[in-house]
Amino acid sequence: MDSSSFLPAAGAENGSAAGGANNGGAAQQHAAPAIREQDRLMPIANVIRIMRRVLPAHAKISDDAKETIQECVSEYISFITGEANERCQREQRKTITAEDVLWAMSRLGFDDYVEPLGAYLHRYREFEGDARGVGLVPGAAPSRGGDHHPHSMSPAAMLKSRGPVSGAAMLPHHHHHHDMQMHAAMYGGTAVPPPAGPPHHGGFLMPHPQGSSHYLPYAYEPTYGGEHAMAAYYGGAAYAPGNGGSGDGSGSGGGGGSASHTPQGSGGLEHPHPFAYK
Amino acid sequence: MEPSPQPMGVAAGGSQVYPASAYPPAATVAPASVVSAGLQSGQPFPANPGHMSAQHQIVYQQAQQFHQQLQQQQQQQLQQFWVERMTEIEATTDFKNHNLPLARIKKIMKADEDVRMISAEAPVVFAKACEIFILELTLRSWMHTEENKRRTLQKNDIAAAITRTDIYDFLVDIVPRDEMKEDGIGLPRAGLPPMGAPADAYPYYYMPQQQVPGSGMVYGAQQGHPVTYLWQEPQQQQEQAPEEQQSA
Repeated sequence: MDSSSFLPAAGAENGSAAGGANNGGAAQQHAAPAIREQDRLMPIANVIRIMRRVLPAHAKISDDAKETIQECVSEYISFITGEANERCQREQRKTITAEDVLWAMSRLGFDDYVEPLGAYLHRYREFEGDARGVGLVPGAAPSRGGDHHPHSMSPAAMLKSRGPVSGAAMLPHHHHHHDMQMHAAMYGGTAVPPPAGPPHHGGFLMPHPQGSSHYLPYAYEPTYGGEHAMAAYYGGAAYAPGNGGSGDGSGSGGGGGSASHTPQGSGGLEHPHPFAYK
Repeated sequence: MEPSPQPMGVAAGGSQVYPASAYPPAATVAPASVVSAGLQSGQPFPANPGHMSAQHQIVYQQAQQFHQQLQQQQQQQLQQFWVERMTEIEATTDFKNHNLPLARIKKIMKADEDVRMISAEAPVVFAKACEIFILELTLRSWMHTEENKRRTLQKNDIAAAITRTDIYDFLVDIVPRDEMKEDGIGLPRAGLPPMGAPADAYPYYYMPQQQVPGSGMVYGAQQGHPVTYLWQEPQQQQEQAPEEQQSA
């Protein structure tokens, strides 16, 4: 395996490069060895609060109903995740993206969900862009001059999330994206937006696709090639933010996800995130 | 092992989607067959005294009208539900705090050993998706609570919502069969307390289920209609989508 041959050198190199950032954060955990009963369900207080929003004021909820909804939510997450993961495996990708989740919902009959969630994801990414410009994250390399990403930068944005490669030459962008990642990790939000929209929504989210957006496989293929071409340029910048986000589970997950996709790109400079295998 | 049945469940879900796509025609046919069943069940009436037959037909018609009105009200509630969801999302300004913890969502996703890496945005989308899922399931369950003249949402209400909604098929294992049976018990109790909706309507609705063999058909229609409406709704959503994107 090419990925296995890259692992040792990549690990040492990235370890030394991002030592400071990594030390500042908590130890990264790739996967929970045993999932506790408590962790298997959504917090009941959150669930009840959401339920009450759609019920009349005089409505009461029995305890067994509360527990049943908790079970249903976990089952829903597993159900959708399973379908999304199957798609990733078919396309030989290791990272489940937001688009995979939306695609799985559409495929499993939750068509009504795709439009609202697509809009939500779109607005979330706008929020991330604004946050990056503000540069509110303390402790991160200062990057006041964060530029506003136009639509044409969307492909680049998704490329950097897929091609993290260490490189001192990328320092300017390194600091910039590091800032964004730290901000996202600090608030438990997302790090770098993944590419390609869902079947229906993709046509709108990707106004500059290299290929036709009518068929998902084609929507991904040109992006993949472009991703490979741009990996070396954005890789270094994308990698450090992942380590910077180690303080937050979601952040490290995103970083690891970005790293682990590299082997599939078959690029000389691409390699998986070493922490993904710890 | 829980992970192993998951793929099978997913496969079943996938296979069910295709029958679902073929379902609208069947749903379209169902009302006709139900109507014919009603007519057939009406035939035994001539055997009874004239005035009894007429009275019974009136009761049956009133029950049918009540049922249709109930379906329309519930369908309007669901349409309003989705409009509110879109409005709520468009008005969202706080993307830092989520109604459900992302770390917990990620752990549940990771419970499947086949799942390797998860992008940071996936749990964010799931947090919103689960919120909508809880809201919709609760709304559909509450509809059943109201039908039974209760004010406490119970497990059997959730079971009824799962039974009536195709996209919830993957949840059938979560609610035991006895809960679904209890659903039937709920109806007689509903007839007792004369509250809320016109009290007369419920006794009428209650009688046909006991006396008319076709009551099963009526119940079948009850399930069929939601499916028909469900299929109309996505189309409307899809029609709105282009406009939404253009405005964005």
